[in-house]
This record gives sequence, C-alpha cells and structure tokens, in this order.
Amino acid sequence: MDLQRKLEILADSAKYDASCASSGSNRGGQGTGAAHQSGVCHSWTADGRCVSLLKILMTNECVYDCAYCVNRRSNDSPKAILTPDEIAGLAFEFYKRNYIEGLFLSSGIVVSPDRTMELMLEAVRKLRENFHFNGYVHLKVIPGADQRLIDQAGLWADRVSVNIELPSDKSLQLLAPGKTKDTVLRPMNRLAQQIAAHKDERRSIKSSPAYAPAGQSTQLIIGATPETDREIIKLSEALYGKMALKRVYYSAFIPVMKDNRLPALREPPLLREHRLYQADWLLRFYGFTADELLDEAHPQLDLSFDPKTVWALNNLDKFPLEVNTADYERLLRVPGMGVTSAKRIVRARRAGALKLDDLKKLGVVMKRAVYFVTAGGRYGGIKKETEAAIRIKLLEHKNPNGQLDLFGEKELVKEGLEATVTGQL
Amino acid sequence: MRTYLYEDTFESFLTALSLALEREEACAIVKAAGAEADLFSEFINSGADPARAAAMRDFFERRGSAESWHHARYAFLSEAAGCENAVLAYARLIKEKGRAADDMLADDRVKRLHGLSASVGGEAHMFKGFVRFKELADKTLYAKIEPDHNILPLLTGHFRSRLGEFNWVIHDARRGLAALHSGGRLIYAPLTQERALEFDGKEERVQALWLQFFKTAAIKERVNPKLQRQNVPLKYRRNLTEFGG
Repeated sequence: MDLQRKLEILADSAKYDASCASSGSNRGGQGTGAAHQSGVCHSWTADGRCVSLLKILMTNECVYDCAYCVNRRSNDSPKAILTPDEIAGLAFEFYKRNYIEGLFLSSGIVVSPDRTMELMLEAVRKLRENFHFNGYVHLKVIPGADQRLIDQAGLWADRVSVNIELPSDKSLQLLAPGKTKDTVLRPMNRLAQQIAAHKDERRSIKSSPAYAPAGQSTQLIIGATPETDREIIKLSEALYGKMALKRVYYSAFIPVMKDNRLPALREPPLLREHRLYQADWLLRFYGFTADELLDEAHPQLDLSFDPKTVWALNNLDKFPLEVNTADYERLLRVPGMGVTSAKRIVRARRAGALKLDDLKKLGVVMKRAVYFVTAGGRYGGIKKETEAAIRIKLLEHKNPNGQLDLFGEKELVKEGLEATVTGQL
Repeated sequence: MRTYLYEDTFESFLTALSLALEREEACAIVKAAGAEADLFSEFINSGADPARAAAMRDFFERRGSAESWHHARYAFLSEAAGCENAVLAYARLIKEKGRAADDMLADDRVKRLHGLSASVGGEAHMFKGFVRFKELADKTLYAKIEPDHNILPLLTGHFRSRLGEFNWVIHDARRGLAALHSGGRLIYAPLTQERALEFDGKEERVQALWLQFFKTAAIKERVNPKLQRQNVPLKYRRNLTEFGG
C-alpha cells in the first residue's frame, strides 16, 4: 500500500478527535521548529474545523470492539499501519512547508496496548532525535499500557491525552466492552501526577526536563448515551479541578457504525455540543460552577439561549449591574460581555466615567447586555424587566445571519419562541 | 493646511510625525508618492532624520508606554488610508495625557488606532499559519504571500526561530518585497519579478499528500462552507496549497 493511501485511511480514522489545539507550550531551541504559546491554526477544512496538527492514527487496526468507534474490530473497512519512520518523515515534510504546527498521534490497538504505545513513542522519539524537531506533539496515551511507557509519553510530547469518550461507567460497559472507568482514569491520574511533579521540580531546577508542558486533555462523545448535560458538566468540572486537565473536548456523536446499542440520530447534535462548549468556557474563564448552571430540576442546557443568559435570567435580582463600579468578576457574568470587553471596561473607566453609548465601542454586545447593565445610573433596557419579557426581547433580537445560525439554530429559536409565548405568558 | 510628506520608510514617517507634533495647529502627514497638490496645502518634505525618528520612539515609550509604541508602529504597518493622521492624532493625545491615553478605549482616536494595530496584529498571526513554503530545486523554501497589511517584518522572527537551519524566502508579491533567509542571515530586498521557479523533485508528491490529508480530515456530516469562509477568507486562498495555490 502506498503512503498516500495509508494517509487517507489513517487521517480518515483520526478525524473524529475534536482536539486540534497547538497551544500551551513554548518549546524551542536548537534544531527545527518551535511551539507557539497561543497556538497557530494553519487552515480550516470544509467542516470549518481548524487544522493545526497532522492528526493521524498510527494504525486503525484494533483489538477492541467499541460500538461507537469507526475502528472497531468488527468493522471490515480497509486497515493500514504507518511505521515510525513514515510518521516522523511525513510530519517533518509537512512542518517544513508550514502546513502544520506539529503532530497529533493516536492509534488503534495493535497486538497489545504496550506494543502500540512503544511504536508510537518510537515515532515521536525519531521525530525529536533524528529530525531535531521542536514543534508541537500531542500524543494519545493508550489505556492499559504499562506505567513505564505512559511516563515516557510526557517526556516526548507537549500534550498528552486519554479519551474518556463515554461520560459514565455504565455507558462504557454497554458500548465499550473491554474498557472500564478505571482503565481510562488510571493513566489520566498517573499523567496528572507526573505533570505536577515535573512542574514542581522545574521550579527549583530549571534544567530538569519538561513533562507535557501543554498539559493533558480528554474527549467526551455527546449524544450516544443518555447522560444529561448536568452529569457531563459536573464531570468536566471534576476533571479540571481534580485532574488539572487543560481541556475537555465534546464531540457530537456521529453514527459512523450501525449498532443496535446506539441511538438512531438523523443529525449529530451540534447545537448541544456548542452549548456544552459555552458552559465549559463559563467554568474555565468566567468563574461559574456547574451547580450554578444546571441543577437537578434543570439537568439540560437550554438550546434557545446560551447558558450565561439562562443563568442571568434566573438571577435577575443580581441585575442591573452598574458598569462604572461593578468588579471584574461580576462584569464577566453579564450576558453579552466576554473576558476582553470586561477587561476593557475596567481599564477604560479609569480614564473617565462610562456612558451606555461607550459600551458598544468597548466590544460589549449591547443587544444582550442592555437588559442587565446601567451606566452612570442609566438603564437602556425595557422598563418592567421581568424574566419572561426579557426572554421575548432576546429571542426577537436573534439575528438570522448571526453566528448561532451556523448551528441550525434558527428553527430552534422559532420553536423556543413559541414555547415561551405559550408556556410562560 | 501644512502637510508633511514622507518617503516610503518608517524612519521618514517618524521624522514627519516629529515635525508635525511640534506644531500646535492642525496639519497632516501624507506619503510623498501619490500626494496631490492643491491650493490650500503647503507641502513640506520631511526627509529622514535618524535622530528625530529615535526621539519619536522615545516619546512613545516614555511619555506613553511600550504599548503605545507597539500600537503606533503596527498602525503604520496597516498602510490603511489615513493611518498616518491616525497616528498623529494619537501622538497628540499622548502628548496631552501621557500613558493614560491608552486607557481611553472609548475615545474615537484611541479606538481607531488600537483597531488598526489589532487588525495588523491579527493578520500577522493568521499568516504564521497561512505562509506555505514550496521546496525549490536548490532546497530553498519559497513562499508567496499577498497580505492586506505590511506584515512581512512581523513574520520573519517567527520563521527564523522555526526554520533557522533552512534557507527560505517569504515574498510579499503585493508590495514587491521579500525577506531572504540564507546561511542564518536575514535581509529584506525588493523582489518584483517572480523568476520561473524550479521545484524540488519531491515537492509535488508532498503537496499531493497534504491535499489528501486536508480533504480527508473534513467530517462530511459537519460540512459548513460558511464557517470555513469565515476562517479562511477567499482573498487568501490563492496562495494556499490546499486551495489550489
């Protein structure tokens, strides 16, 4: 089989992994390549996803038979395997032409988890040592591989990851026989310990080796199993807290395989995936907790509104907020304000009192924020700010050409509006 | 109105800026090439005075801050119509308010200047990804770019730290300017005529592999041309290998 055909098979099998990040590392030095702290996107494929890394599997052969996975043993699609030399060579030729930031290597399990991990490590070692490559490497860690091999992964890679895939043990048992919560969480835990230990060591001894400087990430499949958004977001919160993960990725389930254990979805739940990412952002950058966003009575994210707006509508007693005096943490909780605009407000008000008109210039999305702020005591929203009234106004404002339309939200908004009109008034 | 003309260099622009800033009354700065005389303008050739240019940098950094200098420099590189006078208005504000000027984010002068600077910084960052090298027969890596702003000087450091062991050329075909990296040294030189390029024997094959990867990596259930267009504007595609460039 020629290299092009192998690449086709192995890129095809790798494409469902959502991660493309090349951020969080500033590796450099003698040789070729360097990492860029903020990451660099090099292109965007037809689905609008960024290409930053050569994302491939070493092989799509696998001893497991996970129902959701395109590489499952019982799928008789064409199989291929790349040698460590081929992987290193390909990554280097692509890097040299500035197609990519580096390599993201994952794999099906060939022979055994140990053997698979050994071959993957060999590919990355070759890239680092033979090609003197200092670009970004994201290495998938194979659950069940020996601890000694797992420990090596972080020495070669900038980022390491173990995919949880299914958000509960029950779902794993159902869809991924051969995997348990423990086989996934054990390597993750080990990596977290190693990352923390090396970080400590580097604080006192600068020359000690970096260990996965861009940290650890994981991925959850959304919509293949019945977990609620609350369960998912609580899990992410625990992963960010206890395991110090850098990122949790959410991947809308695409039924690539027919299996009677899997739900029959007409379309991947892209809007739900989008809402989970928004909630995830609120956890990481906006100081929200999972319990503030979702409770047992409301375990699913609202598809009509972003989770911050939902929170604000449920907490109208905390608004409107005076932008000239509110502290940064509270500004972050205003719908229509992001990290950038909240920082700008804090800065700009040092130079003089802000008026409502100024907010738009600072990048605040006023069609959302207007109901939740005052500036110099002035309020630009509607007079009787009941939750239902603001809901209606916000829905009217949804721009059919706006970004959210990308997720096919227009229809949902209409449905949501009807529900609001009939249900709430 | 008094109008200061500058030659097509940053040093000459800073000289003009320094002259204009010394005067209280309204004046303008215009690039000499392309300046049109009219009855009401008094043209003054600014020349290029290294001492004045250095003093201007000092002014931005001390009267303002390192950030002010960054914004002024990036705004000039935007080559946007009227960017010279936007820098002048900003410099006047710094003269009056000192480093507090950069806090006045809702002020139109500051907003305009920060906006120009951000659009240059943004394009420079995008091109860290969009530069596409092709390997020539002599092993030099050659890339053609056509950015809106004059970002070439902002890219070279990035590629020096990554491809320091290679000889490479980044050619801004729109401005007829190239950065040439050879034997570890970097020079800028005019490059207008693209010579017939002779590619390395392996080049076509690597490009085919990249195209294969690029095509395969898209998930067909999620195809979204609008989102793709947002991220890779059509104007940049002609020099991107994966879009046929």
